[in-house]
Amino acid sequence: MIYYACDIPEDLTYDIERDVWIRFDGEIATLGMTDVAQTRCGKIAAISFRDVGKKIAQGKALATVESAKWVGPFPAPFSCEIVETNEKGFAENILLANKDPYGVGWLVRVRPTNLEAESSHLVTGEAAAERYKERIKELKINCLRCID
Amino acid sequence: MSKKIRLLYMEGVSPLRSQTVYHAVGYAMKQDTPNTIILVSPNAPYVSIGYHQDLQKEVDLDYCAAHNLPVYRREVGGGAVYLDSGQLFTQWIFHKEDLPASLEERFALYIDPIVQTYKELGINANYRPINDIHVNGKKIGGTGAAQMGIAEILVGSLMYTFDKKTMSQVLKVPSEKMRDKIFESLEAYMTTMTEQLGSTPDRAMVKDLYLKKVAEALGAEIVEGEWTAEEEAMAQEIDARFTSDEWLYQKGQLKQQGVKIHQDVHIVEAAFKAQGGLIRIIARLREGRIDDVTISGDFTLLPVFAVGALEQSLRGVAATPENLKSKIEEAYYRLNIQSPGVTPTDFTTAIMNAVTPPQAA
Repeated sequence: MIYYACDIPEDLTYDIERDVWIRFDGEIATLGMTDVAQTRCGKIAAISFRDVGKKIAQGKALATVESAKWVGPFPAPFSCEIVETNEKGFAENILLANKDPYGVGWLVRVRPTNLEAESSHLVTGEAAAERYKERIKELKINCLRCID
Repeated sequence: MSKKIRLLYMEGVSPLRSQTVYHAVGYAMKQDTPNTIILVSPNAPYVSIGYHQDLQKEVDLDYCAAHNLPVYRREVGGGAVYLDSGQLFTQWIFHKEDLPASLEERFALYIDPIVQTYKELGINANYRPINDIHVNGKKIGGTGAAQMGIAEILVGSLMYTFDKKTMSQVLKVPSEKMRDKIFESLEAYMTTMTEQLGSTPDRAMVKDLYLKKVAEALGAEIVEGEWTAEEEAMAQEIDARFTSDEWLYQKGQLKQQGVKIHQDVHIVEAAFKAQGGLIRIIARLREGRIDDVTISGDFTLLPVFAVGALEQSLRGVAATPENLKSKIEEAYYRLNIQSPGVTPTDFTTAIMNAVTPPQAA
């Protein structure tokens, strides 16, 4: 779905409140900032990742993101252990999430540690698209991507 | 907003506490914590660096040690800044639902009472989106935003005075020429209440005026209060972290374009090895144009006044390779410049290296 220029792929799962997308692949989940999140944040200037192997509680920071106007956490949608970060990708091009948030701009890969109890807020498909329409209207946002 | 806002008024606290207090109130925030405004100033000068800066690359630590200036890394972004009692920090620690969702609107709301305070004092201050406050093209303080726990934080200051000389001294820069350019640019593009009014206004009066403007902007009552034992304990925890080497010397990822003076003005520098010698550039960029440039190096340029003439001819020129090269070639033709082993293309490359530094692989 594309709504006010915000791309919300319906094959992904979302934590809408935290603006995080999730791609499950077996026991591993890849996480990133949604188009809405990267637009609200603005051009990213720096990211510091928590260490691989670290266990992170739901809602706590998997990374800290700095843009020209804001510093804040990239929050865990569920409790998890970090298995991989995209630190190398962002070191080569800090604007990865601003250019391609659902592709090369992924942030971390994690192993959920308590998913059964912490997944009721996650949505996907048409339900996610509908919920995001409401959120995009509330935020009065038009998504923007970096092209260079 | 109908809820009361708690005011924590803390003039004259230690440099460390002037930073850790808003982190502590932010991290300690719970659903029933009131939105809080902290007005705080330090009782001694210090240096604050941005969350992702590399301390050893950005700050002249020898100078700071020699002048007893502690350095603290904040959890807000941006660059290194020298701070002292000449600023009253205005820190908002709010629940996110009590602030606009968009950061642009959030900054506009936060900055408005500061601008209105200045205006009532007779200073022609204006909001310069996204997060600067300007007076006739000069910056009178910047602002920042962050999320800590469930709290949304906005920070800035009311600028009574600003020690531009010491600000230029605490930065680690590649040359004293660059330092001079930073100081000169701070003089040209930063201002304070004292400069604007000819004398420092009464601090109690300014504080009261600011709080009145905040209450008007938010439609809320502001009530002076105390911080809680839990917040104080959190501050002590953060004090310990902020003074640890592990926190202070953590690897910085922030790559900046030179030194930012304000949103539209940056000082940049670069060197380029041409066949006829090394060209060094220190430039001040303003809204993408060369505001001022200093060219030096070990090349030969004749006639003797050619370097100055070249610098002069580049002022106001849009910082693109085409424009720069065209201006330089025109100066070469007009002044019959001779420069063995150095071409207009070399000067253009040197300047563009400063304007858009080659990306590190």
